Amino acid sequence: MDDLLQHFIVEARELIQQAADDLMALESDPTSGPHVDSAFRAVHTLKGSVGLFDLAPMGLALHAAEDLLGGLREGRGTVDGDVVDTLLECIGQTERWVSAIEQTGQLPADAAEEGYRLARALRSQFEQRPASTTAEVPEADLPWIEELMASSHGPDVSKAENGALVALRYTPRPDCFFAGDDPIALLRSVPKLLAVRLSNRDPWPPAAKIDPFSCNLRIEALSGAGLDAVKAVFRFVPDQVVLHEVARATAPHSGEASPDEGSAGPSAGAAGGASSRMLRVDAARIDRLADLVGEMVVAKNALAHLAGQAGEGMHRKDVAQCLAASQAVIDRLVAEMHRAVMDVRMMPMRDIFRRFPRAVRDTAGQLGKAIEFSMDGEDVEADKSVVEGLFEPLLHVLRNAVAHGAEPESVRLDAGKPIKTKIMLRARREGDRVAVEVEDDGRGIDPDAIRQVARERGVASGDQLERMSNAEAMELIFAPGFSTASEVTDLSGRGVGMDAVRSAVEKLGGQASVTSRQGQGTTIRFSLPLTIVMTRVMAVRVGRELYGIPLDGVVETAVVPTTRILPVRDAEAFVLRDRTLPLVRLADLLEIPRSEEPGPGMKVVVMSVGDEMVGVAVDQFAERMDVLMRPMTGILAGMPGVVGTTLLGDGRVLMILDVPELIG
Amino acid sequence: MTVRLDGNIIVLEGQCRVEDAEPLLGWLQADEGRTVDLTDAEHLHAAVLQVLLALKPPLRGAGKDAFIRDWIAPALTNARPPDMVPQGG
Repeated sequence: MDDLLQHFIVEARELIQQAADDLMALESDPTSGPHVDSAFRAVHTLKGSVGLFDLAPMGLALHAAEDLLGGLREGRGTVDGDVVDTLLECIGQTERWVSAIEQTGQLPADAAEEGYRLARALRSQFEQRPASTTAEVPEADLPWIEELMASSHGPDVSKAENGALVALRYTPRPDCFFAGDDPIALLRSVPKLLAVRLSNRDPWPPAAKIDPFSCNLRIEALSGAGLDAVKAVFRFVPDQVVLHEVARATAPHSGEASPDEGSAGPSAGAAGGASSRMLRVDAARIDRLADLVGEMVVAKNALAHLAGQAGEGMHRKDVAQCLAASQAVIDRLVAEMHRAVMDVRMMPMRDIFRRFPRAVRDTAGQLGKAIEFSMDGEDVEADKSVVEGLFEPLLHVLRNAVAHGAEPESVRLDAGKPIKTKIMLRARREGDRVAVEVEDDGRGIDPDAIRQVARERGVASGDQLERMSNAEAMELIFAPGFSTASEVTDLSGRGVGMDAVRSAVEKLGGQASVTSRQGQGTTIRFSLPLTIVMTRVMAVRVGRELYGIPLDGVVETAVVPTTRILPVRDAEAFVLRDRTLPLVRLADLLEIPRSEEPGPGMKVVVMSVGDEMVGVAVDQFAERMDVLMRPMTGILAGMPGVVGTTLLGDGRVLMILDVPELIG
Repeated sequence: MTVRLDGNIIVLEGQCRVEDAEPLLGWLQADEGRTVDLTDAEHLHAAVLQVLLALKPPLRGAGKDAFIRDWIAPALTNARPPDMVPQGG
């Protein structure tokens, strides 16, 4: 994709977000001048950028939005729900267009029509409020044909003496001129015209506001030619014309139906996930990195100086001392640089949070729920991948809160709660983790209902369910298979249940949990790592290969005399401090040949796997290290038993094993 | 030039095309009293026609082209649908 377009997409997203934020703010405070200003500027800038590309429909809609906002800014017209709705619709469509452009490089096919529709809706807000929606007369309404018949003053009605008449009503699309259509030229080519009536589809705007290039015509005509002949004329615009065959003096019957209103296209599908590959970084952080690189250069020069001195016969002891000092400096610098680079990847929650008010508003609107949504902790930062990965799960949880948490107003009133359901989205730092919560004061979760559903759907056995505490039962909402397709609505998700939410959060290295009090509300809580953490691993040698084992699973290492290893049927066990532990050999797990090394003792890594302790026999222990673990991607992503890889100092790749998975 | 201003009369001549709509609209917006002369018009693009329909200027001559004479000019003068709201400029 063209560079300029890529920048445009990034910029457009920000401006769209800005405009949406301001509009949302306007909705709650219609008199807020700064928000009108800010929304106007965002739309104005966006429109300007759009002008650089071949995106006319988008420009048209934004231009209308800009005019409307400009008018509001100057105090012409007032902000009300309708205006905000229309503007938000325009912004929402623009956002979808930007996603389409990102994916395909161009606007979707129906953009022209949609652009005009939006522009017209916006202009009608501006010009004549009451006329904003002109109810279309249903096309099947036929009095117009009679009027047409009556007015058929044409040269000769008798032209059609021996056959049926064809009545046609042609309503060209507003953007038809841009498609090169000339409706009048089409009319001209209709054979055997008997009557013509010209009118306007929508009321004309004031003379000063007429857009000559937006077609507002309605053409009605009567022809004495056959239906097929008339149809042929309009073969390229079948969707805009209605033909009726009118048998002489008898009731007309319908010939062709007119489909209409390229009804709301694909939904916000692309709005969520698609993340741009660019990262905007605070300049101060880049400066910090540059400083560190400068210090690094100094450290490197010191090393070069030292090498020179060592060559000139410096005393060995001094060399060692200077080397150690130099190493310490570089060590510190590397650590700081690592932190600085991590900082660059840090982004505030705001970047995703700001998209939620609109999502909540839309969902609430569609479900007719009254919601008071608030957010806190937008400034909390976490690694880019963590923040971005949170968008989908949070969106789902928020929609759930609106769809399932919020009770009908009457129920709330009876319970003595305020009419509006409060939904709070909160983020806060907790040590080296970040906690994100969605709390509502809705109906809460009924643990017995959960038990019942879980039983019906076979998520857990009756026995297990009986033994569970209420809190444990609630956790079942995260169990796979708990939410079924039947309750997947357009709103509460695109086929994802809470199990998908949990697995998305776990993929980020986090945990999801739920607390709820029936009748008082529900809190869904995510706890996530702040950054991609360094993993401590222990390296072990099997045969000639080196493997890593995450240290958090390792309890201890031991050297077990071979005599203490007991065969148990076809497996092995050993006794360690009076406990008998099963023994597995890593070589067997990895399906590589055991090395026949008759050492005096067997080197065993004692690990906790689930609730049990297991001894894993290896050939050699190697060093422990902190590594930046890369998850497996691409073809290797599905490789069992390996959690990730890291690069060793000498350039080799170290595979980090998932021992519990290997044991199975 | 298929559209031109001659004194206070806007003359449409020949095959009037979509781009003629804008100057026509401009002249009519500037002075709604201007008459539009269709005598030498051979075709009116729908965009042009729509301007005439919307602003309803006095029309003059509808001779040459049979289609315009028989159908367009009468339709323009008859076009007074009931839902037409009088507009202030």
